[in-house]
Amino acid sequence: MLRISVHVAHPNVTLHCSGRIVLGLETETLRCMATSRTENCLTLDLSGIRALDAAGIGLLVELQCWADQEKKALRIAKPSACVRRLVDLTNLQSLLQVGDCEKVGSFEEWERAALATGAERAMSA
Amino acid sequence: MEQQTISREFTFPGNSESMVDARESIMDFIKKNGASEGEEIDIFVALQEALANAVLHGCQNDGAKTVRCCIKIDPSAFVIVIRDPGPGFDLAATQTAGPRLNTTEHGRGICLMRSLMNDISYGHGGSEVRLRKLRGR
Repeated sequence: MLRISVHVAHPNVTLHCSGRIVLGLETETLRCMATSRTENCLTLDLSGIRALDAAGIGLLVELQCWADQEKKALRIAKPSACVRRLVDLTNLQSLLQVGDCEKVGSFEEWERAALATGAERAMSA
Repeated sequence: MEQQTISREFTFPGNSESMVDARESIMDFIKKNGASEGEEIDIFVALQEALANAVLHGCQNDGAKTVRCCIKIDPSAFVIVIRDPGPGFDLAATQTAGPRLNTTEHGRGICLMRSLMNDISYGHGGSEVRLRKLRGR
């Protein structure tokens, strides 16, 4: 099961995800929820994710490509140990923008950094 | 008292709806028989990949076909064997030298199983996969 709660602070939106992101209803739900957002900066808070499979990893790649095409900023914040491990195992650190909360302090600071990056992207587009 | 070897067989229709229920039943069995939290997560992901391959490729998501899953748990390891009625696949096409960057949305399942399990092998031309996870590793 996947639970998603949405926190909007325009132009940011954070999808707080908990449970599993696996093949089937879970990946379909996250895909629909993420791609239906109109905000320019989208953060996926994956701190509550207990399991992720190849379809879930594939969806994160798909969403990153979608965000690039739509000129949006997409960040993965607070990855759980499981998410971090699978991103490392699949060698996707360079493709997915995974927030390292320890380096930037609070999650709010990280979100501000994401907003700044999004603004840079928008300006360079 | 020394822990005994425990085994159980699960069979389910080869469609994705049935796969979810079967996966939960299999994981319940594994959890009840002593998997640590780390082992449980690794086994869950590898099992999910193997079941998805069996249902989507081996059965073409056809509920009239059947997937068999045999679990054997002994004091040293968890062994999971999954068999589907499909024709198998080209094993050589999945052999890679090591982790590489895959920027597409697909094609990571076997790589993940190899990374999370201590041993993975195929039989019957690829229509049977055997996963082995050592305890405490």
